[in-house]
Amino acid sequence: MANFNIDAKKDMVYDAIVIGSGISGGWAAKELCEKGLKTLVLERGRIVEHVKDYPTMNLDPWDTELRGGLTPEQRKKHQVSIRSNWVGTDTAHFWADDEANPYTEVKPFLWLRAHQMGGRSLLWGKQTYRWSDLDFEANSKDGHGVDWPMRYKDIEPWYTYVEKFAGISGEPLGLPQLPDSHFLPPMELNCVEKHIKSRIEKEFDSRHLIIGRCAHLTVPHNGRGQCQNRNRCSRGCPYGAYFSSNSVTLPAAHATGKLTIRPFSIVQSIIYDDTKDKATGVRIIDAETNEDIEYSAKVIFCNASTLSTTQILLNSKSNRFENGFGNDSGELGHNLMDHTYRVGAMGKVEGFDDKYYKGRRPNGIYIPRYWNVDEKTKNDKFLRGFGYQGGGYRGGNAANNENFGADFKESILKPGSWEFFITGFAECLPYHDNQVSLNTDVLDKWGQPTLAIDAEFKENERAANKQIQEDAVEMLQKSGLKDIIGFDNEHPPGYGVHEMGTARMGLDPKTSVLNGFNQVHAANNVFVTDGACMTSSSCVNPSLTYMAITARAANHAVSELKKMNL
Amino acid sequence: MDRRSALKKTGLLAGAAVAMPTMISLLQSCENEPRLTWKPEFFTKIEANTVGTLVEMILPRTDTPGALDVKVDVFIDKVVSQTYDQKGQQNMRNEITTFNNRCKEKFGTIFASLDESKRDEVLKAEEKSSGKFNPRIWGTTIGNQEPIGFYRSMKSMAIWAYFTSEEIGEKVLSYDPIPGNYEPCKPLSEVGNRWSL
Repeated sequence: MANFNIDAKKDMVYDAIVIGSGISGGWAAKELCEKGLKTLVLERGRIVEHVKDYPTMNLDPWDTELRGGLTPEQRKKHQVSIRSNWVGTDTAHFWADDEANPYTEVKPFLWLRAHQMGGRSLLWGKQTYRWSDLDFEANSKDGHGVDWPMRYKDIEPWYTYVEKFAGISGEPLGLPQLPDSHFLPPMELNCVEKHIKSRIEKEFDSRHLIIGRCAHLTVPHNGRGQCQNRNRCSRGCPYGAYFSSNSVTLPAAHATGKLTIRPFSIVQSIIYDDTKDKATGVRIIDAETNEDIEYSAKVIFCNASTLSTTQILLNSKSNRFENGFGNDSGELGHNLMDHTYRVGAMGKVEGFDDKYYKGRRPNGIYIPRYWNVDEKTKNDKFLRGFGYQGGGYRGGNAANNENFGADFKESILKPGSWEFFITGFAECLPYHDNQVSLNTDVLDKWGQPTLAIDAEFKENERAANKQIQEDAVEMLQKSGLKDIIGFDNEHPPGYGVHEMGTARMGLDPKTSVLNGFNQVHAANNVFVTDGACMTSSSCVNPSLTYMAITARAANHAVSELKKMNL
Repeated sequence: MDRRSALKKTGLLAGAAVAMPTMISLLQSCENEPRLTWKPEFFTKIEANTVGTLVEMILPRTDTPGALDVKVDVFIDKVVSQTYDQKGQQNMRNEITTFNNRCKEKFGTIFASLDESKRDEVLKAEEKSSGKFNPRIWGTTIGNQEPIGFYRSMKSMAIWAYFTSEEIGEKVLSYDPIPGNYEPCKPLSEVGNRWSL
């Protein structure tokens, strides 16, 4: 890939500014550039070029001195993100510096951040599911939160559009609550997963077990290579086989010649002009030199990630917006959601000891939502629903085996017992009091106010989790598993890394921050298309929806610019 | 694939690997302790010997290399030295001392100075009294983990160090860094040992 243009010095004026370069920022950059806009992407971290900047992509454990272990210094620097248990020496360079970027947990909340070009698109789980009208209508039907200003028909063509470019693998199922994507061939279930699929589908009406739908290429696609089943995705993929901004959208934006990406650019605020009733640009602090710089643009896209975007908006105060940019409704910072996490069941599977697999499939199984889908599946214990992810593999912990010595050693050279687990992700309702606010008592390395996060799961999520665990145990029992363990790690929000809301879309400017095309109601040349815009949370992974919403909003932005409406 | 012949080719069975610690008499302590053939970063000589004899008891040399052949003890020393904080390091020292004290109470001397049959007896007792690891999903322990204790933790670390050594990872276990396709249901006999990655 050619070198990105990072020279933002020669030009202070652009057609568009995109704040952030993760999943949604990458899409905003690509769409705006391809539609002819001279676009500046502001990235608070460093440049990470596809392949060139993936130093660990091919390393075996024995290639590094500590084989993945973190030093006390690394653990201190990543003191927040290590709580996820995903940070190792192979990926530490892609996780944010938690010491330089403090935040306050009024209630426990894990805020996982990745400050570099590509953001968390390098580290994400890559599960991709379409939302349905069951999701878009949920708020209006049960009265929690406000109604979405769009429906499935509005976003459907944009799902297709982004899927065709990104490459999504999966199997069509024709379920109304989980619309099919435009699919590349699905990955395969292994024998244990196939066995459990047949048992669950036989025992339970309306429950399905499918291979995960994911942003991995199962065939070469748009000049990118197919997945080699190494399962080293989070180090960066040399084949470009999974979707990241670095391997897919930013190169496309760069190819237009319209892209400038400025690294080490911490957006301090959005500049609002009272006389024009719109934003005129963005104020940044250079992370390395501490210099204050202002860039101007006709249109601004906020894609810094849910909470960072909201932090910027809250910090963008003016005469017109004393309580934060576009915060006439008082909803900015409110209605934070995440999915519940690590609640389910696991067990051992007998009868397949002579079977194994080859390859490290970077994908598991999915059990789509089956509660509260229609009248027949109504559940009186909780609203909305949940889905499961999981998988079967040969594992077992050899250290627990009560033997030692020669025979023991020879036995653990063989694969362990087959195990299978499912873990649920429950939808979280939008609660006004799950909120973030600016904290001027705690400043970051650059002297900027930080976020205080005050959110929790409540009764409805706890009731859903209870059902998740009960159902999981029952499904594994009916599938004939042994040594079944039900579990609920009772994680606080943040662990699902699906934080959503805090600058929600809505029909009414009195109760929402954004309109049906993601424009700030009171400043229509500012768009928010990352997770902050979400009005409800569904129970499926949100990234594919961010992609589609962003492409749709960018299209709208350009057509409004042409009509001189912005 | 015949691992034995593969190993012969690599010289491991021909004695080209690390020499096994030999027993020498230590007059000053009246204890038979193995001579240490490497310089630890963190462990004292007694601690290094304790860990070394322990991991070799758990994973002895057979047709395939043992723990000491692939320097499991040297690696554990490095891990404790470079990845443990001070509190963790002190804890490790205390646990090794406590473990040796148990051996002294029972047999009058530290673990490394015991003969094979007494070491065997010690480990059988440790296996019974040590806690078990809860299962893990996506890298996270499920449920509340009860304290594990020194022996099971060391056993777990030894297995990890053994499996992630280049010798075992590339030549003994089934090694396939770039699988290409995914074969979801293969006869185990076509793979052999567990995958190393």
